[in-house]
Amino acid sequence: MMSALAVPSADASAAPSAQAAKVVIEAVNVTKRFSESVIAVEGASFSVEKGSFVSLVGPSGCGKSTLLRLIAGLIPMTSGTLTVNGREVDAPRKDVGMMFQRPTLLEWRTAVENVLLPTEMTRKPTTDDKKRAIELLRMTGLKDFEFAFPRQLSGGMQQRVALARLLQTGAEILLLDEPFGALDEFTRERLNLELLRIVDEIRATTLFVTHNISEAIFLADRVMVMTPRPGRLAQIVDVPFRRPREISLLQSPEFNELVTEVRAILGAGA
Amino acid sequence: MSTTFETTLPEQAVQEKGETRATRIGKHIALFLVVIGAWECVSAFGWVDQLILPRPSAIAVSLVNLAFIQGNVWWHFGVTLYEALAGFVIGSAIGIALAIAAGLNESFRRYISPYIVAIQVTPRIALAPIVIAWLGFGIGPKIGIAALICFFPPFINTLTGLLNVDEDALEMFHSLGAKKSQIFWRLMLPNAMPIIMAGLKTAISLALIGAIVGEFISASEGMGVLMQRYTFSLNMASSFAVLVMLTVMGYILFVLTEAADNWLVFWRHDARMVALSKKKARNWRVD
Repeated sequence: MMSALAVPSADASAAPSAQAAKVVIEAVNVTKRFSESVIAVEGASFSVEKGSFVSLVGPSGCGKSTLLRLIAGLIPMTSGTLTVNGREVDAPRKDVGMMFQRPTLLEWRTAVENVLLPTEMTRKPTTDDKKRAIELLRMTGLKDFEFAFPRQLSGGMQQRVALARLLQTGAEILLLDEPFGALDEFTRERLNLELLRIVDEIRATTLFVTHNISEAIFLADRVMVMTPRPGRLAQIVDVPFRRPREISLLQSPEFNELVTEVRAILGAGA
Repeated sequence: MSTTFETTLPEQAVQEKGETRATRIGKHIALFLVVIGAWECVSAFGWVDQLILPRPSAIAVSLVNLAFIQGNVWWHFGVTLYEALAGFVIGSAIGIALAIAAGLNESFRRYISPYIVAIQVTPRIALAPIVIAWLGFGIGPKIGIAALICFFPPFINTLTGLLNVDEDALEMFHSLGAKKSQIFWRLMLPNAMPIIMAGLKTAISLALIGAIVGEFISASEGMGVLMQRYTFSLNMASSFAVLVMLTVMGYILFVLTEAADNWLVFWRHDARMVALSKKKARNWRVD
């Protein structure tokens, strides 16, 4: 149940607030109706602890993307309460960043100029902002491609730029909506590993939407399983494997047992 | 990084073409000479009356005479060029400004759309005599007609471009807490640039048509006046010489808009995009 960051810190007395995993996202009975008959999310209740990695898995149209957009403050909810860092979500906010299935890069801007976009929303980029942007591009594996335009980059590299742009926002809560879903299997696997390394490094709280069961389990501390029509949280499954994770985990019997378990939950709900 | 970086692509393409370039140009010239030669024969042997179709050699003589011996044709050339350019600038500016207003304000868009449709279906050239009646006989009315005729493509293209924004990119901007003005300048406008430039390329040819039509109706200077003067006096060789100069003018205008497109919409032109990428890497400073 406890996530990676819940490891008891050595100086718990010095930082009493860090003694227990702090809840950063709290949803109670969150419901989103697009019309009388179209219920995208119904009565979702869950909480996400600081620093944890939570996957949201389910078939297409089960409302997982809608749930993510509700948390991002991009769309209003119909009923329920949803707080992030103790504050009600009513609009997009600084502490929450989002990344989409498509890179949505601006093709007239170089990679580093794209990464600087979030900064420009609040101020003219400073020297530090620019240094940070270059640093983030290197962190996401784009050294030597800082000044390439999107059309000069492959799909996987474009998504790396999008990831660097997300990190440039400085958000501590990352909402990822099938970020590598449009990429080939190999690229996706590699990017997933790098994503794990990066979110650990910056201690981000991550909510990752996918329809790939093994990807969901491989990445996460907890997997929230959603079933469609109406979109409901069927079950929340804890993932016991320690981090950092190796690709060999995918072959272990324990891992495959968990995949089977999640598939059974999805099958029962469908 | 194993992934392809397309830096070398356009250069390679140019190189491959380079091998056959001389022969290719040679074939073009040969075909041109054959057509001109056939035309010369048709007129020289009297198969077609020279009053209807003057000989290419006669047109060439007239052209040299007009352009270098008499020389006053350049004044008319300049007048028409000025009318077309001024009309183009005014018409495009009005078209783009209206389109931006319509693109940003839905109720304004709703209110003007019936008038836009009316303007679109009206043959605007028919307004030319009215414009002349309003603005008199100088250069002004020709500019007005050119503006009137060329205004539509920049308008409709700008509007289309502004409204045709990628929903995902828009959502990304919203997730960053972007203001409306930031979305306009950083997303909508650059996103619309390629299609706006396409509209401007059409507009520049239309502006030249407008200027000439205005001169046909009533004018004392300009290439349209020369054209009428020579045809009325059945000096067909000079008429054709004027036509050749108008072709050159149209081509110059076209090349200028092409260059502007290449400059402004660099991300759709591989060679320029690659060059700019390298330049930005060289000039990067964190100050």
